[in-house]
Amino acid sequence: MSSSTEPQPEKKIHLRSSDGESFEIGEVVALESVTIKHMIEDGCADTIIPLPNVTAKILSKVIEYCSRHVAVAEGGVALGERVVDDELKAFDKEFVNVDQHTLFELILAANYLNIKNLLDLTCQTVADSIKDKSVEEVRKIFNIENDYTEEEEEEIRKEYAWAFK
Amino acid sequence: MAYAFPEEVLEHVFSFLSCDKDRNSVSLVCKSWYELERWSRHRVFIGNCYAASPEILIRRFPEVRALEMKGKPHFADFNLVPEGWGAYVYPWIVAMSTAYPLLEEIRLKRMVVSDECLVLISKSFKNFKVLVLTSCEGFTADGLASIAANCRNLRELDLKESDMDDISGQWLSHFPDSYTSLVSLNISCLLSEVVFSTLERLIARSPNLRILRLNRSVPLEKLPNLLRRAPQLVELGVGSYTHEVRNDTFSNLVSAFSALKQIRDLSGFWDVAPAYLPAIYPLCSGITSLNLSYGTIQSPELINIVSQCSNLQRLWVLDHIEDSGLEAVAMSCKDLQELRVFPSEPYRVEPNVSLTEQGLVSVSHGCTKLQSVLYFCRRMSNAALVSIARNRPNLIRFRLCILEPRVPDYLTNQPLDSGFGAIVEICKDLQRLSLSGLLTDQCFKYIGTYAKKLEMLSIAFAGDSDLGLHHVLSGCHSLRKLEIRDSPFGDKALLANAAKLETMRSLWMSNCPVSFGACKLLGQKMPRLNVEVIDERGPPESRPQECPVEKLYIYRTVAGRRRDFPGYVCTINDDSISPVRFSG
Repeated sequence: MSSSTEPQPEKKIHLRSSDGESFEIGEVVALESVTIKHMIEDGCADTIIPLPNVTAKILSKVIEYCSRHVAVAEGGVALGERVVDDELKAFDKEFVNVDQHTLFELILAANYLNIKNLLDLTCQTVADSIKDKSVEEVRKIFNIENDYTEEEEEEIRKEYAWAFK
Repeated sequence: MAYAFPEEVLEHVFSFLSCDKDRNSVSLVCKSWYELERWSRHRVFIGNCYAASPEILIRRFPEVRALEMKGKPHFADFNLVPEGWGAYVYPWIVAMSTAYPLLEEIRLKRMVVSDECLVLISKSFKNFKVLVLTSCEGFTADGLASIAANCRNLRELDLKESDMDDISGQWLSHFPDSYTSLVSLNISCLLSEVVFSTLERLIARSPNLRILRLNRSVPLEKLPNLLRRAPQLVELGVGSYTHEVRNDTFSNLVSAFSALKQIRDLSGFWDVAPAYLPAIYPLCSGITSLNLSYGTIQSPELINIVSQCSNLQRLWVLDHIEDSGLEAVAMSCKDLQELRVFPSEPYRVEPNVSLTEQGLVSVSHGCTKLQSVLYFCRRMSNAALVSIARNRPNLIRFRLCILEPRVPDYLTNQPLDSGFGAIVEICKDLQRLSLSGLLTDQCFKYIGTYAKKLEMLSIAFAGDSDLGLHHVLSGCHSLRKLEIRDSPFGDKALLANAAKLETMRSLWMSNCPVSFGACKLLGQKMPRLNVEVIDERGPPESRPQECPVEKLYIYRTVAGRRRDFPGYVCTINDDSISPVRFSG
């Protein structure tokens, strides 16, 4: 704890992506990630924090998201909640306007780094892409192989249509 | 490359899917998704309680928090389903009391709900929040008292249109003084008196109360006392709306109403004294839903009211509104989506009011957003029906009830085939249709040809032969519910379209020439259907096979034959006919 009356320069946190790139971010932004927050609390953050599950491309996007949300939250106190809300909504919408692969990588990163609002945003976006789609279309989106037999599939379809509709 | 999403991530994605259809698609993707989805499905809808069973529900969905279920067929509303037929919710409550301790919401329609059910609900589910009983029966004040006393987190108690004969209002006093979470209370069907001070205290300690529907016994002069304690109300059903004419009563009412800044929905209004109607005028422009179908209000007063309801979306009214009143609606209520006009004297042969097909034609012309119609009247013409269809191709629900059966077009004396034909041909998104008047098989040919989105069809005293039924069953690809009474449809069409019945929720036929022999054949041919013969004359075997059955109810089910049927019901499955028990 410092005894100085001067405001301390913001502590910097150093992250390294899975493909070896280094990122330096302010502590406030880093704290958006509960995973990193715990590491800081455990005293692991004095050196570089390696993130073996997140590539540089995705990490830079995550940092962009967190930085923006922190900045708007701080700056918006004077402007009022509604303005903050609208601005973030517009940013979020543009942020998830990416190809599916990137979106899925963002979900995994948000989950690993435990960033709640980013996880909610990306999961909602994926859920929206599932809405009103057929089963086959959903399988294609997620590249999942059907492991039902025809009879099993028919049985489940029937149970839904007859009992739960 | 398949994406290896951790389970908790997939579950999180699924949590944003509210629609059952999407959740069901998700469960069909692959086996691991099926598992994940079923553990995270918290809201379940069962359209026919006998199409499933408590065991099937609990086995598939272990974490249900909200159940909505329907029991008796729709024609039960017209007393066509005899007493004791079934739809008992008790076995479901028993099973859920152990399987779903976190259950929060139960919504039931046309089911028998005993006091034991209510007591069990109140004792088993610590977080119980919502109880909606629509057109239910079987409970008394004791059951309601248990709910009031024990459900500390109750938010909604809605007893709409339920049978509440002989239930006193005492149970309201069982809400403890510490209970403050009430959001919605509908006791409009309670016939007996309530202790006013109990009601007043309950409302006074319910800061979140948004919906309040009072019963007839709450007197008008006391209404301001209640309203003053709940200025945040959004939906209000007043009680009796009459009192001797007094200035102070009127001004109290006006000031109480004007404090309701958020009111959107008004109903109640039994026994109306016209002098008090102007008290609601200041509320009219904010109202989106208005139900004036309980009390007698004459056309001029109704016109005064509706002319000010510029934002009205739903209007339920008695035929006292007359054609002139509906013209006023057409001019003033440009956002109207739903209109229901009920008969004030349905058993009277001569018209008591000047309400004809013209009223409906006016509304169809003036209200461009009109989607849903229920209209009782005494005469109709093909020309009017064609106009209505042309005016409103966006109709989704069209239920026409000409009071006298088999009434022809009053102008031409012809059947109303071409009129209804226009409705189904032009209104391409029509989901629900109720027919009336003189109709031949031709009408059903039109329906089978054009009504491709039709999900529910009600037929009474219509058609010439089996061909009519055949047109419907073979042509209406989206049909889910079909109910028929007193029409000449029989064995041939039914057996020829047996497979169709597995694509529908249910079929009801009463007083139609369907023989017991055909029912047996159908039951044997289609083992996954429950074929119920309802005949109060005694066991069907005691009559010739060709003899028509009184009533027939057929529905698909994954639960097999039900066991809780009364003696006058004979269920047919496989090669066996269930032992017929005579009810004493």
